[in-house]
Amino acid sequence: MLQHYLKTAWKVFLRRKFFTLISLFGITFTLVVLMVATALLDHAFAPYPPEVNQDRTRTVLRAQMLGEHSTWGSGPGYKLLDRYARNLPGVERLSISSNPGAAQSFLGARKITLQLRRTDAEFWSILSFKFLEGGPFNAQDVAEARFVAVINEATRDRLFGGRSALNQVFEADGQRFRVVGVVPDVPVLRRIPFADVWVPLTTAKTDSYRNDLLGPFMGIALLQRGASSDEVNAEFMARLKKVELPDPKNYDKIIARFETTFENMATSLFALRGEEETHVERLWAAILIVGLLFMLLPTVNLVNLNVSRMMERASEIGVRKAFGASSRALVGQFVVENVAMALIGATVGFVLSFVALQGITASGLIPYAKLHLNLRIFLYGVAIAVFFGVFSGVYPAWRMSRLNPVQALKGASR
Amino acid sequence: MIRHYLKLIWNRKRSNLLIMVEIFLSFLVTFAVVTLAINGADNYRRPLGYTWQDVWNVQVDTRAGNLAERDAKTPPELLETARQVMAAIREFPEVVAVGGASCPPYGFSEWNSGADFGKWQLEYGLNLVTDGFGEALGLELTAGRFFNAGDDGAAWVPVVVNERLAREVFGGRNAVGNNVPQEKNRDGSIDPEMRIVGVVRDFRQDGEFATPKNYLFQRHRLDDDERRPADNLLVRLRPGTTAVFEERLVKRLQAVAPDWSFEVKSLVQMRETRFTMVLGPIIAAGVIAGFLLLMVGMGLTGVLWQTVTQRTREIGLRRAKGATARDIRTQIVGELVVMTTVAVAAGLAIAVQFPLLKLTGLISNNVYLLSLVVSAGCIYLLTMACAWYPSRLATTVSPAEALHYE
Repeated sequence: MLQHYLKTAWKVFLRRKFFTLISLFGITFTLVVLMVATALLDHAFAPYPPEVNQDRTRTVLRAQMLGEHSTWGSGPGYKLLDRYARNLPGVERLSISSNPGAAQSFLGARKITLQLRRTDAEFWSILSFKFLEGGPFNAQDVAEARFVAVINEATRDRLFGGRSALNQVFEADGQRFRVVGVVPDVPVLRRIPFADVWVPLTTAKTDSYRNDLLGPFMGIALLQRGASSDEVNAEFMARLKKVELPDPKNYDKIIARFETTFENMATSLFALRGEEETHVERLWAAILIVGLLFMLLPTVNLVNLNVSRMMERASEIGVRKAFGASSRALVGQFVVENVAMALIGATVGFVLSFVALQGITASGLIPYAKLHLNLRIFLYGVAIAVFFGVFSGVYPAWRMSRLNPVQALKGASR
Repeated sequence: MIRHYLKLIWNRKRSNLLIMVEIFLSFLVTFAVVTLAINGADNYRRPLGYTWQDVWNVQVDTRAGNLAERDAKTPPELLETARQVMAAIREFPEVVAVGGASCPPYGFSEWNSGADFGKWQLEYGLNLVTDGFGEALGLELTAGRFFNAGDDGAAWVPVVVNERLAREVFGGRNAVGNNVPQEKNRDGSIDPEMRIVGVVRDFRQDGEFATPKNYLFQRHRLDDDERRPADNLLVRLRPGTTAVFEERLVKRLQAVAPDWSFEVKSLVQMRETRFTMVLGPIIAAGVIAGFLLLMVGMGLTGVLWQTVTQRTREIGLRRAKGATARDIRTQIVGELVVMTTVAVAAGLAIAVQFPLLKLTGLISNNVYLLSLVVSAGCIYLLTMACAWYPSRLATTVSPAEALHYE
């Protein structure tokens, strides 16, 4: 049956090629936009190395100090994480690192700006970097504040012209570091691992950061297998209630929580002042609504085309109805045809998306982004194409199936 | 005539409704993108108020942002280091002027303040700057003067405002020498009065594409221990100074303040970053909207083409009764004009809601009106272009053949 439908569909596509081309153009363009958007989301949120344990990783990226009239929002400070987030039940490892900050390096007359992150040794065990040269620095390096650094590939190219960087020395922000490891570039959208240069936390110019409850730091926790982040957060928040606040006149509590990358995004977009819960549903709803709104115009366009092409097939519909085909069977047939068309559009769309993603990667708009298509995006693309095909096919199919057989056979237009 | 078209449209109301919905949606898409573009262009042509050529911004991290000491006074050694840093910069022969600021132009920090007097609200962007700031950025004074050492002993806080703020508060009167109105604090106390010592043409901190707004500079004394040292030092250089100077500058500053971090960026570079951030989304939206309209255009042409071939008999009959080819074309185009008008009217009805509900605080009414006219024009152009080929096709119908079909 399906084979028969597809055969008919193919004949119809070939009958008026110009119209088929117009439909295909609309479908392909729609799918390219949606697929590029999907690839960007995938690039930001899917588990890519070094975040291979993403399902068990939770981070604290924000903390807020709240009072009746005042709010102070920022990243969590070192003290907050060090004193209150260690040894939480359900957490296997905890890493504390600074957010990447710009550090200048001069090479001859050339200035190089590096994103430098100061981190502890646990960082390297939670995130699995694939080392191109050497390896990470260890707990002893951190404890003794040795000036060692792990750099990314792009930095190796910029500082040492792509030659082996191991044990080479470079200057950043007035400090001299010895390279102990080189890792592949991490995209800037991967906020948890991202940096150009990673150095021990203890090499900071002063240790005043140790007293800050709020500051430019992040905590990365690796949960034990089977542990839920709710339990971890319940204990963490209970501990935060006991924090001695530095300015009790203006502030009476401090809040922070461990979140997945997606939750972080939802919180930063939708959470109001002082709210302690995440808004993952709202982020999903926002993505879906934007996607549907975008699909609205292409859908109406395709529906219009299909409805206007209905008359071409009036006699076919008339014959089938006269021989007893039910409306439902006809609707099914037309929807299948439309989905088939959408899938052809998707195939062309994949090729064009690939080109578009290469273009965005090459343009360097997003530093270190390597946008590409993979099986997951392919499956999303197929799902979007099928949804689009059904979405835009149902109304014309229903209109077609309601043609009066007698008039249809006569070829009447109404 | 129009009534006749309406009747014809009504006769095919279901498929025509869909066409109108499509035109309506296209109008909304066009309108959104056109508004963005025209608003950007409108802001771009306004005066900036400063010059960005040959200015570098040295961002200073003094490691003093410690919250525990937020209300504490700044330690004297920190103030001393800040003074030495400023002096060290000024010593270079390449440097024309240097000024500290809490928010640099084209940066990503902003500070807003204001007062609520019930009947009216005063809102403005705020910036704490040192005496050299005016010269470093080439601010254009239209009245009074910029801050100088003579302000040191003043019992009030000297401020410089932009013309927009002066106009809003004082109308046509001279603003210099007057105080900026302030609100009482919650506990009933009043902050020291802010006396205007000068008026500048403007200071559009976020750059050329930013919406114009009120702006106020407060003077930052280098020895003020109520405040932290300035985070940004704006340095005006002699024209022709190259990037080689940057290394010398940073080395020198690091020698003066080994615990601090310095990041140097030219305003040229910061401006470029800003432009990419503002223009990137507009261009992306424009490209997507362009493709959407191309798709709609092709779709609409296809639909009209089909309609014309289906209406062969009707057209044939009219030709037989003596209608000229021109009459037929006018009919096809006329029907589409009527449908476009209905769709655009519906779009306008929606678009007008935004200023009525005051959702467009950032976009002036003139820009809004112009965008409405331009996008309506675009849509008419698009639909007319779509009708061109099908309406010619309709005229090729020969009456005898068309009637024979029946």
